[in-house]
Amino acid sequence: MLKISNLHASVEEKNILKGLDLEIRPGEVHAIMGPNGAGKSTLGYVLSGREGYEVTEGSVEMQGQNLLDLETEERARAGLFLAFQYPVEIPGVSNMEFMKESVNAIREARGEEALSAADFLKKAKEACKQVNLPLDFLKRGVNEGFSGGEKKRNEIMQMILLEPKLCILDESDSGLDIDALQVVAKGVNSQRSPDRSFIVVTHYQRLLDFIEPDFVHILADGKIVKSGDASLAKEVEKTGYAWLGAKGEEKEA
Amino acid sequence: MSQWLEQVIERAEKVSDHLSAKRGEALSLLRQQRWPNRRVEAWKYTSLTPIEQLTLVEGATNQKIADIPAIPGVNSLDLVFCGGRLVTDLSGLSLPKGLNILPLSQAQQQTLSLFASIKPKQHLFGLVNDVLAIDGLLLDIEAGADITQPIRIVYLSQKDSESHNRLLVRVGEGAKVCVIEHALGAQSSLATEFAEYKIEKNAQLEHYRLNLRSGKALDVGGNHFFLDEKAQLNSSLVAFGSDLSRLDVDIVHGGEHANAKFNAIYLLGTGETFDLHSCVEHAVAHGTTEENARGIIGDRAKAVFNGRIHIHRHAQKTLAELNNRNLLLSRRGQVNTKPELEIYADDVKCAHGATVAEIEEKALYYLRSRGISRSQALVMLNYGFIQELIDELPNQALADWLAPMLRSRFEQMEVK
Repeated sequence: MLKISNLHASVEEKNILKGLDLEIRPGEVHAIMGPNGAGKSTLGYVLSGREGYEVTEGSVEMQGQNLLDLETEERARAGLFLAFQYPVEIPGVSNMEFMKESVNAIREARGEEALSAADFLKKAKEACKQVNLPLDFLKRGVNEGFSGGEKKRNEIMQMILLEPKLCILDESDSGLDIDALQVVAKGVNSQRSPDRSFIVVTHYQRLLDFIEPDFVHILADGKIVKSGDASLAKEVEKTGYAWLGAKGEEKEA
Repeated sequence: MSQWLEQVIERAEKVSDHLSAKRGEALSLLRQQRWPNRRVEAWKYTSLTPIEQLTLVEGATNQKIADIPAIPGVNSLDLVFCGGRLVTDLSGLSLPKGLNILPLSQAQQQTLSLFASIKPKQHLFGLVNDVLAIDGLLLDIEAGADITQPIRIVYLSQKDSESHNRLLVRVGEGAKVCVIEHALGAQSSLATEFAEYKIEKNAQLEHYRLNLRSGKALDVGGNHFFLDEKAQLNSSLVAFGSDLSRLDVDIVHGGEHANAKFNAIYLLGTGETFDLHSCVEHAVAHGTTEENARGIIGDRAKAVFNGRIHIHRHAQKTLAELNNRNLLLSRRGQVNTKPELEIYADDVKCAHGATVAEIEEKALYYLRSRGISRSQALVMLNYGFIQELIDELPNQALADWLAPMLRSRFEQMEVK
């Protein structure tokens, strides 16, 4: 599904990722944990092709395709989905219009026909229901005035609608209470399938109680420094990241 | 004085009709006028060079009239001007009860009393219109009439010609009407279209000005409203820019408890200019004004917004709001915005503000990260910026007709 080799990336000429390797097979869930400033969010941005995040070395392949050659929108059409830690508010553009454009752009790329307004609405309603978002959220501006938890659920709702191949969840648990966390986790779990993979980026082990990972990686100072199974997350929960040394304690870039 | 203005005066001297007394007044004011340069406040940011370079002739009537775009679902009563001449046969129209339409040329006491009575005298091109607008219309809505069919005045420009038209509208006491002024054309031309609206006691005017000229079509016009007691005005402007496009809007609260709403949207493509000057006079107490202008300014385009609200000493309990927001699509675009409140009464509630912003990189990235192309994402963000004002257009069919037109304009406005 995804093969990251020796990935180096910088933001404003500051090196953030310093030789990251990761291989994900279809259907796997990989958790990436690590202290602030380790490069967790940067990884998501680099994979999705955000401007200003420059890859200086290494390669990323998704389903055999060189991901780094593609524009942000082309990556999304190829099946990459990033659930943002801080989804942006876009007043004036309704969630409905946004998602309809998005779903149809992705369907078109897959050679499928655009959904009719009625068919889209039906799907959107189902997706809203799955993450406990009231239907009037579709009419509201994208994330406009949403609470932190609502924004996160809106991201998962989008993920459900877009049916991506590879989902990157960037701290989808941050700022959530336990109920909201369960809703998010339930939404994610409903999407697990043998041909869909997940990268779950989180600071805390808590989310992984609900979304059980196949692998856990510790990211520190731009590299994966330790990999293991789900038990590694529990170990981190007990010991913290102090064992990584002072370097891991840098502030988020 | 510019050569063009000298020619205007020469031509005006030959005009003789029942409006001669009024035109004469304007002519003597024009003779005293100095051609504005950048030191004149009203023209500080907008250059008149495109007009100085004109060698146009007055419109000829024998040219074929371009197709008039219908507004589906609006079912308007259309009155069409082409190259400055009224080309609709008024005698062939079946008019709703309570609506009277007279050509300007027809001597009429009402025409005389309305002409140049609402439009302030300081607008240079308003004076030009005073002396050169041979063709025009008087719409008279009788007291109590409820005219449900919108009246649309269509202004078509003709290549290489000037057109000067005047619209006079009286909305009689308690009457209701909707007037759409729709100007279009992109060919080399100059139009001055000034309209004066007298909204009498308890009357309601729903008004649209669609300034959809672009390219080389120069457009200098005005909308001037007088509101009597409890009169209601809901005016919406949608404007593109051209080599030179300028609109002066004046709203006078002449009777208490009147309510004025004015929403303006201006969308400037590459290299275009648009200049909106508005002035609201609260001369009496208990008036309400709500003015919202939003503009999107393309590459190397230039917008001017000068919005003034003047609250006179006796205009107590006035509620007035003035807001202008701008979105610049390029670092080479320019906007000059100046909201002004001038308040001489002490018991009023007023607010004003202006902002200038750029497309948010984060928002663009967010949309693209969901598979939406950059071009399409920009169209969505642009549309989102004016969506609120589109939603406030009272006529849904008109809004639906505008939507795809605005979207295609946004596509043209994209800065690559």
